[in-house]
Amino acid sequence: MQKQTELLWVEKYRPKKIEEVTGNDEAKVLFIEWLKNKRHTKKAVLLYGPAGVGKTTLVMAAAKEFNFTVIEMNASDTRSEKAINAVAKPATAYKSLDSFSDGTNKSIGNILFLDEVDGIAGNEDRGGVNAILKIVEKSLVPVIMAANDPDIGKLRPLKKVSLLVRFQQVRIPLIIALLQKICLLEHVKAEFEALERIAQNSRGDVRSAINDLQSLSGENHSLTLQDTMMLHSRNKDISIDETLRRYFSTQSIADTSSMLAFSSVDYDDFLLSVADNLPKRYTDTAELARAYEYASQADMFRGRIGTENWHLLKYFFNALAKASAVNPQSYKPFTFITPPIRIITLFWTKNKRNILNNICAKIGEQCHVSVETAKLTFIPYVRLMLQRRRNHPIVSSFKLTPEEVNYIVTMGRY
Amino acid sequence: MTIILNSKVFKLPRLEREKFINLMHLGLDYNRNTMMFSINSYNNIEKVIDELSIILGDDIVFHQSCVRCGKAFPCKGCNYIDVCTTKNLPFSCVCSQCLRDRKQFEEYLTKL
Repeated sequence: MQKQTELLWVEKYRPKKIEEVTGNDEAKVLFIEWLKNKRHTKKAVLLYGPAGVGKTTLVMAAAKEFNFTVIEMNASDTRSEKAINAVAKPATAYKSLDSFSDGTNKSIGNILFLDEVDGIAGNEDRGGVNAILKIVEKSLVPVIMAANDPDIGKLRPLKKVSLLVRFQQVRIPLIIALLQKICLLEHVKAEFEALERIAQNSRGDVRSAINDLQSLSGENHSLTLQDTMMLHSRNKDISIDETLRRYFSTQSIADTSSMLAFSSVDYDDFLLSVADNLPKRYTDTAELARAYEYASQADMFRGRIGTENWHLLKYFFNALAKASAVNPQSYKPFTFITPPIRIITLFWTKNKRNILNNICAKIGEQCHVSVETAKLTFIPYVRLMLQRRRNHPIVSSFKLTPEEVNYIVTMGRY
Repeated sequence: MTIILNSKVFKLPRLEREKFINLMHLGLDYNRNTMMFSINSYNNIEKVIDELSIILGDDIVFHQSCVRCGKAFPCKGCNYIDVCTTKNLPFSCVCSQCLRDRKQFEEYLTKL
């Protein structure tokens, strides 16, 4: 067995009790109420939030405190339908007889903990989400899931059957307080500024802050600000909503530029969202025009960046930042339009576009042209012909269905 | 001007039905007896703040509560406000006095 001194501090100081878990007190209350059956409106719970904020730790501490046996499956396991059924089904299909006794140290039953469910992907994990869904429906024991990003499409069915509990990045002062405590217990003499820098650099990730503290304090049990200079900043995921919020409420171009550099949102989607929301941000038309001018410059740079000229990214950020800071004083909170209108429109018009593509494919087959050519050069004339006579011979020639004829006649453009 | 709200319970002016329902959907709770609102779910806290700002016509900030001394304090003046992703939101924190005061910290640790 490993000696206490050789242990990673992350493990050594992993909370054993719920109250020892740093930060996210509100999420802890919600989760514990659910676990104690007070809020059992949903059969499963999905804990979500950035990495290193205490989701897994909270589950383990709660299990220990309430004497549950944790049956865990995480990203290192194959989580196909077969594998999940093999592990999770027996664990959730019965209640432990121990749960009827109130023995002091005995397990009162199982909890199924599926960590990093957003990582279920690919051929190896085929059918995994559906298998979890079936288990949640039939489970007799609490099912707990954890994810970093709950917004990915495949988790939608799981979100419907789960109580959602959001975890936030742990605040810097709370991390500093925890580092101070560890320093005291490990007899490390640390400068406050050094702890401050480690905590700030961690960006709310307690695990990485503790790891940094351990690696930097070394064997001489001291830590100065100088020692922390080698730390490099960690890039954390910020959602598009959060990025938009910070983007529009910014006070300076420099702040926005660095915030954008830290965000990992899709630049194209973000640019579209900015364009959608600018009229809500600027009510003055002259300011709005200037903002759109900068947004169009950003769009130009995005085009030039393509997939390889990433050295131009700073110009893209700069132009985009200028659009947000045309008049920082005039900012008033507003409800954002997300996702971008263009993407919503594409979603809603998917069926119509499919019909048009089918028609063009039929025309292309008969006339030996591509779908695109049929769309651009044939459809306007076919439309005119059909508007004059719905049962025109071209209908049978192109093998168009009545629905397709109706679509061409009533279509808005061309 | 900025409106400071108590993170436990707060009062709002009479709301239109749709706005009230929207706030309930976003995670607020309403106590009919005390006529006070409280936050039930923090999953959509940013949207709640936006809605409250629109309703009250001003920026909204919440007081923070110190996990060590229990005092309520504002985010304004915090050294880490620029890197904090939850600034002005009603979450627990440590006030600057408690963070710097080593003696108080050691006393706090012995209490645990």
